[in-house]
Amino acid sequence: MTSTTPLAEQIARATEALRQVIDPEIGLNIVDLGLVYGIHFPEAENRIRIEMTLTSQFCPMGEAITDSAAELIREAFPELEPEIILVFDPRWGHHLISEEGLQYLNS
Amino acid sequence: MILTGATPLQKTTSHRVVLPFYGYAALAFLLACLLLFFSSGAFQLHYFNPHTLAITHLMALGWGTMMILGASHQLVPVLVEGRLYSERLAWLSFVLAGLGIPLLVGAFYRFDMGWPALVGALLINLGLLAYLLNLGMSITHNSNRSPYAAFILVAICWLLLTTGLGAVLVLNFSWPLLEYNSLAYLPMHAHMGIIGWFLLLVVGVGARLIPMFLISKYTNTPLLWAIFGALNLGLISFILFTLCGHPLLLQIIPPLLVGAGILLFGYYCYQAYRQRIRRQVDAPMQVSLLSIALLALPLLLALLLVLFYAGDHNRLVLLYGFCIFFGWLTALILGMTFKTLPFIVWNRVYHLQCGRGKTPSPKDLFSERQFRAMAFCYGSGFIGFALGLLLQLPLLLKASAALLIAAAFLYTLNVARTIWHKPQRA
Repeated sequence: MTSTTPLAEQIARATEALRQVIDPEIGLNIVDLGLVYGIHFPEAENRIRIEMTLTSQFCPMGEAITDSAAELIREAFPELEPEIILVFDPRWGHHLISEEGLQYLNS
Repeated sequence: MILTGATPLQKTTSHRVVLPFYGYAALAFLLACLLLFFSSGAFQLHYFNPHTLAITHLMALGWGTMMILGASHQLVPVLVEGRLYSERLAWLSFVLAGLGIPLLVGAFYRFDMGWPALVGALLINLGLLAYLLNLGMSITHNSNRSPYAAFILVAICWLLLTTGLGAVLVLNFSWPLLEYNSLAYLPMHAHMGIIGWFLLLVVGVGARLIPMFLISKYTNTPLLWAIFGALNLGLISFILFTLCGHPLLLQIIPPLLVGAGILLFGYYCYQAYRQRIRRQVDAPMQVSLLSIALLALPLLLALLLVLFYAGDHNRLVLLYGFCIFFGWLTALILGMTFKTLPFIVWNRVYHLQCGRGKTPSPKDLFSERQFRAMAFCYGSGFIGFALGLLLQLPLLLKASAALLIAAAFLYTLNVARTIWHKPQRA
């Protein structure tokens, strides 16, 4: 079923799943916080690749965030294996917070 | 799940290492407030008296130092971007310092400077040596050369110098090792601890945490180095002037240098506050920011003491110490506890349930109502006791100490509620 779904729709579904992961410290979801750098569906591979970062490499909540991201992706795409790639270059910065995220923090 | 990446995910320090420090510090604070109540009469005597010494050491070591030790084991990896070198060393420092502090405080209370005081001082020094080794290795094991790391490392060195000198002063009571009696070295010992340990560490850690908790864009590394220089130069000049003697005019130099460092740090915090992205500032953060403003009180008292009383005015000296330990340091810890402890516990309890939005958030782990009641009791108790000290009103001292006990009790209750939080769905 997944292979027939257009890529944009798959990415939107994955984004929605990741939007449920809340950074407990900031209270904002990881998509609007700008932690998700990319969502890929490699061809001929039975997996979904999430390229993401953390606010700090030694973020105490790092494991909780990556585990939850994987868990929610697995729920949204039961037939695919989630692969989380942690990237610290470029480093996360406040400029990566989305407009919605800024509105939430300003409220 | 497959987790990959050029930089692996770093494990944080186990909650098992950190939580005992928080519990110990909370109990020490409660005990110190009880002693303050039962010994409030001591605050009408000379500051060098057994009960004042016992309360001061309980506040400095049992409350301030144990709390900072615990929090820094958790926070240092975030601050210096390197993992904690050894959790066993962290345990060792907890056990050694945790055993030594009651021995030393009890000895001061009875003013028996025999073996319990010596063993207590020795155990505390060994515990802090383990701490220095642990954090020193954690910092030098990674390539990060941030000002935060410098603040922390130098602060721990000052702490060891403070407790080392403290042990010598204890020995000096029984076997005269120094040129003068221990009282003559007390200002040096106290300021090495207050400025070298507490202030340097709080500035180093606060400079990173305050913008982080406020989600602020503000950073200013050159300013942090200037503060680092001003505080250290101020303290070194104070020690040199104390040891070598000095013209009266030069006495103003150390408080001016330290004052400049404090004002610059105040400016740093103000800029971080102004440039914050998150508009709402929660109650624990408000109390923490208030504590920075509270630094102005001891600074003002220090200038008064130096300019008008050559450093010797009993009531002002007592008020100065009270404003540092029960004012600035306590307000900071009361606030920062509920910015750090809930996250540590949350990570333990809900680590695998981060998503879905169905789990309580870290701030739901403690009672905000109880926190506000604690802040009220603390604020009124602090102001009342400071006025009681200044005006020498025994009844006001007693009543205010009772308010501080209430604050400490509410604090301990809230800490216990957080530590023993059971998993639940929001």
